[in-house]
Amino acid sequence: MRVQTPNGFTTDNSGKRIVVDPLTRIEGHLRVEVNLDADNVICNAVSSGTMWRGIETILRGRDPRDAWAFTERICGVCTGTHALTSVRAVENALGITIPENANSIRNIMQLCLQVHDHLVHFYHLHALDWVDVFSALKADPKATSRLAQSVSPWPRSSPGYFKDLQIRLTKFFDSGQLGPFKNAYWGHPAYKLSPEANLMAVTHYSEALDFQKEIVKIHAVYGGKNPHPNWLVGGVPCAINVDGNGAIGAINMERLNLVSSIIDRSIEFVEQVYLPDIELIGSFYRGWLYGCGLSGRSVMSYGDVPENANDYSTKSLRVPRGVILNGNLREVLPVDHGDPDQIQEFVAHSWYKYPDEFRGLHPWDGITEPNFELGANFKGTRTDIKELDEGGKYSWIKAPRWRGNAVEVGPLARYIIGYAQDKAEFKEPAERLLKALKLPVTALFSTLGRTAARALECQWAAHQMRHFQDKLVAHIKAGDTATADVSKWNPESWPMEAKGYGFTEAPRGALGHWIKIKDRKIDNYQCVVPTTWNGSPRDPKGNIGAFEASLIGTPMADPGKPLEILRTIHSFDPCLACSTH
Amino acid sequence: MGEATETFYSVIRRQGITRRNFLKFCSLTAASLGLSPLAANDIAIALETKPRVPVIWMHGLECTCCSESFIRSAHPLVKDAVLSMISLDYDDTIMAAAGHQAEAILTETRAKYKDRYVLAIEGNPPLNEDGMFCIDGGKPFVEKLRSMAEDSMTIIAWGSCASWGCVQAARPNPTQAMPIDKVITNKPIIKVPGCPPIAEVMTAIVTFITTFGKLPELDRQGRPKMFYSQRIHDKCYRRSHFDAGQFVEEWDDESARKGYCLYKMGCKGPTTYNACSAVRWNGGVSFPIQSGHGCFGCSEDGFWDKGSFYDRLTTIKQFGIEANADQIGRAAAGAVGLAVAAHAAVTAAKRLTRKREGVVQEKRSKVQS
Amino acid sequence: MSGKTAQVLNVLSSVGVAGKDRSADRDVVYVYEMPVRVWHWVNAAAIMVLAITGCFIGTAVPTMPGEASDNFFFGYIRFAHFSAGYVLAVGFLLRIYCAMMGNPHAKQIFYVPIWRRCFWDELWQTIRWYALLAVRSDKCAGHNPAAQLMMFSMFTLTTAFMIVTGFALYAQGSGQESWQFGLFGWIFGVLPNSQDVHTLHHLGLWVIVTFVLIHVYAAIREDIMSRRSISAIISGERDLRD
Ligand code: HEM
Ligand code: HEM
Ligand code: NFV
Ligand code: SF4
Ligand code: SF4
Ligand code: F3S
Ligand SMILES: [Mg+2]
Repeated sequence: MRVQTPNGFTTDNSGKRIVVDPLTRIEGHLRVEVNLDADNVICNAVSSGTMWRGIETILRGRDPRDAWAFTERICGVCTGTHALTSVRAVENALGITIPENANSIRNIMQLCLQVHDHLVHFYHLHALDWVDVFSALKADPKATSRLAQSVSPWPRSSPGYFKDLQIRLTKFFDSGQLGPFKNAYWGHPAYKLSPEANLMAVTHYSEALDFQKEIVKIHAVYGGKNPHPNWLVGGVPCAINVDGNGAIGAINMERLNLVSSIIDRSIEFVEQVYLPDIELIGSFYRGWLYGCGLSGRSVMSYGDVPENANDYSTKSLRVPRGVILNGNLREVLPVDHGDPDQIQEFVAHSWYKYPDEFRGLHPWDGITEPNFELGANFKGTRTDIKELDEGGKYSWIKAPRWRGNAVEVGPLARYIIGYAQDKAEFKEPAERLLKALKLPVTALFSTLGRTAARALECQWAAHQMRHFQDKLVAHIKAGDTATADVSKWNPESWPMEAKGYGFTEAPRGALGHWIKIKDRKIDNYQCVVPTTWNGSPRDPKGNIGAFEASLIGTPMADPGKPLEILRTIHSFDPCLACSTH
Repeated sequence: MGEATETFYSVIRRQGITRRNFLKFCSLTAASLGLSPLAANDIAIALETKPRVPVIWMHGLECTCCSESFIRSAHPLVKDAVLSMISLDYDDTIMAAAGHQAEAILTETRAKYKDRYVLAIEGNPPLNEDGMFCIDGGKPFVEKLRSMAEDSMTIIAWGSCASWGCVQAARPNPTQAMPIDKVITNKPIIKVPGCPPIAEVMTAIVTFITTFGKLPELDRQGRPKMFYSQRIHDKCYRRSHFDAGQFVEEWDDESARKGYCLYKMGCKGPTTYNACSAVRWNGGVSFPIQSGHGCFGCSEDGFWDKGSFYDRLTTIKQFGIEANADQIGRAAAGAVGLAVAAHAAVTAAKRLTRKREGVVQEKRSKVQS
Repeated sequence: MSGKTAQVLNVLSSVGVAGKDRSADRDVVYVYEMPVRVWHWVNAAAIMVLAITGCFIGTAVPTMPGEASDNFFFGYIRFAHFSAGYVLAVGFLLRIYCAMMGNPHAKQIFYVPIWRRCFWDELWQTIRWYALLAVRSDKCAGHNPAAQLMMFSMFTLTTAFMIVTGFALYAQGSGQESWQFGLFGWIFGVLPNSQDVHTLHHLGLWVIVTFVLIHVYAAIREDIMSRRSISAIISGERDLRD
């Protein structure tokens, strides 16, 4: 049946149905079903979040100061970002302010996550959609070395270096035990890289795996560990003591130096490995510009990384903020988290219950009540689903909307908004990359654009880390070592009722937490998460979400091997634990 | 691509690693596991003769943080573990295959490596709603777990989710998320708790099994003794401040800057069995306490439900009341104290009136006589 | 009095510590044998120390000045707690021995004769007496039924519980190879998160405190109302003349 969605897409579920479940190389459990037309072009897409834990329910009745730890466990991949959002929500509700140093340290931690998460996403979750590992075995290491040196000054680009890895890989494949490379799509016609480019990328897959563990040492310094570093309502838990008695037990010169050197190495790695790889790989896929979905129409960013502590105004936020609707880049609309008409969640097609399923609820009044029931036309049994029915409820993800609009969030959304706002630090790198790839601006609205924006943002974030680390040092130099404000630590000092919200730009996009506090306990807690936006099922009006929209119109070379589906879905960096929480 | 399964030793020899370096690796591994130099020889023999052990890593309800932690391992590097020490044939987070190509690996492994593969579980299965709070391949995850457990050699329960239930099992546990040992009762289960566990602890446990070909010695609660037999508190470098009576009284106070003990800030180091204070995190850079926050007991059973992380005395939640031991105790003792005082007063009053009555009676009898 | 206890008493009285059994001469009952009395006060002292140090352990002390190596204040508090804990535990074992060897009164705190009708009758009587409804209680040589019930539940059971949980907590410090862990480690099978053991051990403190409150009040009150001397637990004799 052909359907015209209100947000401008045509779906047709009459053709052959393909199911990908589990959709791997993501966080959590995701199922994607598509219909193909006679030419194997995707003409309908259904994405379903297939896990739910009920963290919002579990938070009720608890101490608001503990909420960061619970919400941090929503996801270990974007570890820390929920915690930061949570402490901001509690601080917003209770009117707690944080010292400047705490703001710098929080920013460094958030940016560190961006750098780490983007790097790991590209190399370890996404690269195999573009890179054929098997083909790398056929590469000439000398030619690979020449290729690598032509795109980057990275010192580890000798023929021997690539040869070592190739030998190791060959033996690995020869052993017959293929580990994570088993049953994959090697040789698929949608792979376009030369053997040399493949070898270079696989080598960097391995190198990035070694390096990523270094980046997060920044979390270990300021938060005690990674994954899941520690946070604090009112500031940060790590005290600063650079040269006093007992400095060895606090943030001291050695700790600052450690962070500083990691920042330098991160900038270097991103600029000399990640970005050149993106550019090189991108050049092979210039012709594969599918996956636009919502990106060319409606995108949103809350903004993040406040320059000044406690100032969440658009001016203070270094990450762009705003909403673009219907592709109108000339107008960036303002977002208000407290406006009951702006952000709302719907559950008509989600496995939850609302008093009125056609109405959306603002998160302060949000309800999370599970209700697992399948649409009338699903195939299989209740506990063995063969095909979902998108006409009924079909996902554990709610459907968030901004003034009724489905929007895409994430690095690409942020870059589009930054571009539309004419912010040089976002616009220029994007234009430079497009120029290098000889692509028009419209090429940004694609799977490739999403993947490229993530890489650019990784570079941006690495430099921002440097900025805030320098700022932190400057403050300490000026004699300011405060890291926490405890004047409202004691619950006795709180009002009997309060409500607030906190937001961040998580690696995958706009993240918000809304809290209501009553009798010093959490009365209601609601999270609306990046992958809730992107992975959203249909809403009562039939608007489709970003994942679903992005798949429509993509041709599949071999319907038995869903490489193109993986490629586009992965470009969002889906996180299902986040989306449903 | 042959069927031949290859040994760890042959893999690394063909990678151009010399025998000398190989033996050096073995003794380093032995040392990092805290074993005697003699054990290095055992490791060498094991690695020379065994094919890489297939590992099936499955995810239930979780946050993938245990996987994230695993890939932070510095020794061994996770790439060395995955390429040369084990055969990670299934792991939905990093595997290249998806959908039915991924599912096929499970079926194949069950048949080909019956009783010879390690099943590593991150997260846990929910039992409510017929298990459909965690759907995998259209079916409840718990089904997949049960079927893969059946033919496995041993099960590793990664993290607090698989070991104890963790955050999704915190009150009121809306999905009825269950730790692995509540669902699989007929297989040895190694619990590696922590939210998440330390990277090097994870890789050490895997390599212990593959190199020694046996399961590590477990404590009463199923945790490997080598990492879980002592508390954070026992090896905490702030312990001297605890013994001295020097505590952080408030965040960011003088004591905090001097690195005093975090006991009064609710540190659960005294009741938490984990290796953080000894092994530390991220290649030894730090651990929670070193960066100023108390341990909140993330490797302990039900640590989410013991009241606020910042309370020294944790909350008791029973019969609708919620208070800590001192609050309950003071209330009870206070009530009893009041009752005692009241009782004493009434007794005294009664005695007085009786005495007076007694006097009157005496007088009366005198008159009578 | 059993032979063995008498022997011990003889030895002790020869060094002038124990009182002689004079109950044959006068209208008094010899209730508390000397070891029980000595135990009573040693036990009371140990519990005082345990309760005070226990409270400190629970909430910690104000921060000490100077270098850590220069102080061991909290360490000493804990040491005092553990020492008193040992005294309490050893005393408890000796008290059990006394119960086995001593007079019938010595056994009373270890059981509640719920199977005896007269226990219930007397309990009712005593309750009425305490509720100031009855004029006087029946004469009891040892504990009255209410006291016995309270002693057993609030003292004996709680003390046993405190010893078990106390040594289990102690085993966390002494390690899994210690005898304490061998004997009491099973607690962690029942309560896997030892934070719960701390909480219950802490709660036990308040049960004991409540007991002492009632107990001391009852003892003094009894002393005044029924002319039974507190000295019973000092001299061992209970005056039954009226
Ligand atoms: C920590 C404090 C105390 C504890 C735990 C305690 C415990 C006990 C116990 C267990 C008994 C029963 C003896 C037996 O049959 O073995 C007892 C009897 C007795 N205690 Fe205490 N005691 C404490 C303090 C005191 C104090 C301060 C007094 C005096 C004011 C006192 C007066 C008595 C008396 C008079 C008896 C005999 C009661 C009777 O025959 O019913 N006790 N005590
Ligand atoms: C009437 C008897 C006892 C009382 C009232 C008592 C009271 C307490 C209290 C209030 C605490 C603090 C608990 C907390 O909040 O974590 C404590 C801790 C402790 N008690 Fe006891 N206790 C008693 C008997 C014992 C015994 C017999 C032992 C055995 C040695 C013992 C060993 C311990 C240990 C090891 C700790 C933990 C110390 C620490 O964490 O540093 N206690 N006790
Ligand atoms: N979606 C999502 Fe997250 C992110 N980034 C959270 O807010 O990944 Ni786990
Ligand atoms: S144990 Fe903790 S870190 Fe690991 S998956 Fe569960 S919630 Fe995440
Ligand atoms: S900081 Fe925590 S673990 Fe360390 S000594 Fe103090 S109470 Fe123990
Ligand atoms: S909170 Fe967890 S990470 Fe270690 S120090 Fe405590 S066990
Ligand atoms: Mg939500």
